[in-house]
Amino acid sequence: MARRATGAVVGAIFGVVLCWSGMTSPNVIRGALLLQHAYLFLFFASAVATAFVGLRLVRGTRALLTGETVGWTVKPPRRPQLVGAAIFGVGWAIADACPGPVATQLGQGRLWSLFTLSGIAIGITLFTRVERRPAPARHETLTAPASG
Amino acid sequence: MLHHQLAWYIAGPVLGLCVVAIRLLLNERLGITGGYTEIVTGVARRSFALDWRGWFVIGLIAGSVAFTLVAGGPDFHGYGWLTTTFTGTARALIAPILLLAGVLIGFGAKTAGGCTSGNGLSGSAMFAPSSLAATATFFSTAIAVSFLIKAVA
Repeated sequence: MARRATGAVVGAIFGVVLCWSGMTSPNVIRGALLLQHAYLFLFFASAVATAFVGLRLVRGTRALLTGETVGWTVKPPRRPQLVGAAIFGVGWAIADACPGPVATQLGQGRLWSLFTLSGIAIGITLFTRVERRPAPARHETLTAPASG
Repeated sequence: MLHHQLAWYIAGPVLGLCVVAIRLLLNERLGITGGYTEIVTGVARRSFALDWRGWFVIGLIAGSVAFTLVAGGPDFHGYGWLTTTFTGTARALIAPILLLAGVLIGFGAKTAGGCTSGNGLSGSAMFAPSSLAATATFFSTAIAVSFLIKAVA
C-alpha cells in the first residue's frame, strides 16, 4: 500500500513537472531535437545532475519503506540495447513525445495521444511475446530486472 | 497555454529528486516504461493489482489532469509537425503514424531496457554504462530523424 502510494504521489509530481515544463507539447520537443532551444537539454542535464548527487547521498542507507540497503548494480552496454535505443529514438522523433509526456498529453486532453498510447501498448506486448519465445539467442538484457 | 514554462533550473532538479525519492523510499529505479508494462500485462491477465510502477503512471496522468485544471489546458487542436504537414483529408494519416511511432517507442524502450526516464534520467544518474550508451544512442537518433523529417516534410 505504502509502495503504491509512493508511486502515485511521486508520479503525480513528475506529471506536474512534465506539463509545467512544456514537455506535453510536441512543438517543444521538436524545437529541442532540431537544436533550436536549449531548454530540454538544460532541464534534462540538471535533472540527471541532481539525481546523480542525490543517489550517491542515499546509497548505503536503509530504504525508508522496504528496509533494504539502498544500492544498485550497473552493466556494460550490449548491442541489442543500443538497437532498441535507436528504434526508440525514431519513434520519439516522429511522435515528439516519449512515454512520460504521452501519458501527460492524455491527462491534458490531447486525444491524439490515444494513438501513441495504443502503439506503445502494442510495442510492449510484441516485446514480451518475443521475450517469452524460447530462443537460443536470448540476451541478458532482455531479462534485466527494471525497465523505464 | 495560460502558464509560463517552469524555469529549467527548478523543473530539472525536481525531476531529479523524484528519482532520488523512489530510490530512498523503495530502493527502485524510476522508469515510466516499467509502469506501462505493469499496466499492459495487468490488463492482459485481467488483474488490476498494479505495483508501484503502474501507480506511478496513474499518478502521472492524475498530476497532469490536476495541472490542467489549475493552469488551463494547452492548445490541443494541433499536434506539432504532424497537423501542420497533414491537412485536410490527409489528416487521417496522423493516426496510423502516431500508432506506428508508439510501437517503435514501446518496443524500442523495452529492448533498450528503459526509455527517457529509466535509461536517460535514472540510469544516467546511476552512471550505468548501458544507460549512458542507450541515452547517447536515442538522443542522437532522435535528433537525426527530426532533421530528416524537417528536410522531407
